Amino acid sequence: MRPRLTTFAAALALLLLAAPFAGLAIATDWRHPGFAHGDGGAVAVSLGLSLVALLLIVALGTPLAWWLARHRVRGQWLIDALLLLSLLTPPLAMGLLLATMYGPYGPAGQLLERAGLLLTNSAPAFVMAQFYAALPYYVLAARAAFEGVPRELEQIALTLGHSPARSFFHVSLPLAKLGLAAAVALAWVRALGEFGVVLIVAYYPQGIPVKLWVNLQDIGLSAVYPLLWVFFLVALPLPLALGLAVRRRLA
Amino acid sequence: MRVDYRIERPVALAASFEVEGFTVLLGASGEGKTLLLRAIAGLLPARGKPFDGLPPQRRAVGYLPQGHALFPHLNAWQNVAFALRGADRRRQAVEWLDRVGLAALAERRPAQLSGGQQQRVALARALARQPRLLLLDEPTSALDPATRDDVLAELIAEVHAAGIPALAVSHDPALAAVADRLVVMHDRRIVQAGTPAALHARPANGAVARLLGHRNVHRGRLLGKPDAQRLLWPDAKMAVPVATGLPDDTVVDWHIAPEAIELHEACAAGATDTDGLVAATVEVRQAGEHGGYVGLRCGQARLWAKSPSSHVTADDVRLRLPPLAIRCWPRD
Repeated sequence: MRPRLTTFAAALALLLLAAPFAGLAIATDWRHPGFAHGDGGAVAVSLGLSLVALLLIVALGTPLAWWLARHRVRGQWLIDALLLLSLLTPPLAMGLLLATMYGPYGPAGQLLERAGLLLTNSAPAFVMAQFYAALPYYVLAARAAFEGVPRELEQIALTLGHSPARSFFHVSLPLAKLGLAAAVALAWVRALGEFGVVLIVAYYPQGIPVKLWVNLQDIGLSAVYPLLWVFFLVALPLPLALGLAVRRRLA
Repeated sequence: MRVDYRIERPVALAASFEVEGFTVLLGASGEGKTLLLRAIAGLLPARGKPFDGLPPQRRAVGYLPQGHALFPHLNAWQNVAFALRGADRRRQAVEWLDRVGLAALAERRPAQLSGGQQQRVALARALARQPRLLLLDEPTSALDPATRDDVLAELIAEVHAAGIPALAVSHDPALAAVADRLVVMHDRRIVQAGTPAALHARPANGAVARLLGHRNVHRGRLLGKPDAQRLLWPDAKMAVPVATGLPDDTVVDWHIAPEAIELHEACAAGATDTDGLVAATVEVRQAGEHGGYVGLRCGQARLWAKSPSSHVTADDVRLRLPPLAIRCWPRD
């Protein structure tokens, strides 16, 4: 492709990406932002519970990603298929599946409810919805990050007298750091922006995506824009900072 | 130290030999030499002595893989300190770097070091672990040809100074030549062991001679009884007189030193005895510090001969292979 053509295509792509946000900037009534009742609560719910979901995703997804990067087992394709399936399932359908399994009449739901954990319209249900929405993305990205760490370096750490756990924390983890940062950013974005899954299993407590929907229904478009701005404000810093850190290290 | 290992997978391999000073295990690529080192380091399921059954972190080995495997996220002293424990790690690490002459580069990242410097950092790191055995995988493969003899001399001096037995696996005859002890592996077993001088003087077979870097090792077949024997060289489609004690019709590997080959310009070949004169074409002329060699094409095969002091100008020459200079090993 000729350089000028490339530049033109790239500029066009950027322009298309920017268009909806330009629309938002124009449509927003800057003099009277007009937050709806409950918007503040939605921000708190989204931020707080997404952080919990993110911690769970990292805590459980990292060992799985490392294991997948380092082991080849018979029937590996089944695991790959399972991950792809989780990615592929439309969010609404995933919400319905979660309700079927963890809902009040679901097999797991009934057991957990007896143990005091209610996974419908509760904070744990909200976290669960985000967990399911973002985990496969995190695992795939983190697996790629670990696969980029030369196995030989982990083995050298062993021959230098370190246990496998120390080798993981002092070699694998630092060397996979950039890829893991990207995986965390991706998981955060996926979790925070999730609407479909959350809508089914956790209409309450309302996070920002569901509240946007509710504002639209109850008040109209004008009530969507201010909350959307706040959403960007709280959601963007973490992935942006991680992304910048990665770019700086690569440069 | 006696090394005695048996590997089942990914290839079956058994090796038992003595490691003394700087020992080189010489073998062609694909013999499983790296597997053997990894087995000794405990990175591969295998049985054998020393360190039988221990996990890698409990084996006192200093393993230097090909490419040195320095941690790219750590600088030189941190790499060395990785093998150390305690609050005093940094000072000790710099001391180890000092021993290999690199204390001044302690803050450099591996990517900022030359191949030889990386190797010395890796050596310092391996020594800092206080191993009972050093394992080196192809230590000459990443070295710059212009400086490699010096880097090699330094490596061996450091290994001697550390007083730890070292096992280097390699296919490099130049490394084999500077070993204290040489062990040769062929067809996944040990075929000969001894000092480099002893092995160069009497290679056990053609494969050993080839691995030692001897030129002019070829296949052939003996014709006739020992007192009137000829060596048939199928690749060159010719036969020359030879003197061996081997029976008629033995398939052999044979060798002749380039220095032993007599070279005659074709037009001057007015010799009365034409038996055993081989027609050849000069393919390449090689000039070097220790005199010149010529690569000669004989049929499908190539022979190397030492250039006579008078420069060979003609492209067509005749060779005489003195019967007593030809060494034959029966092939199994």
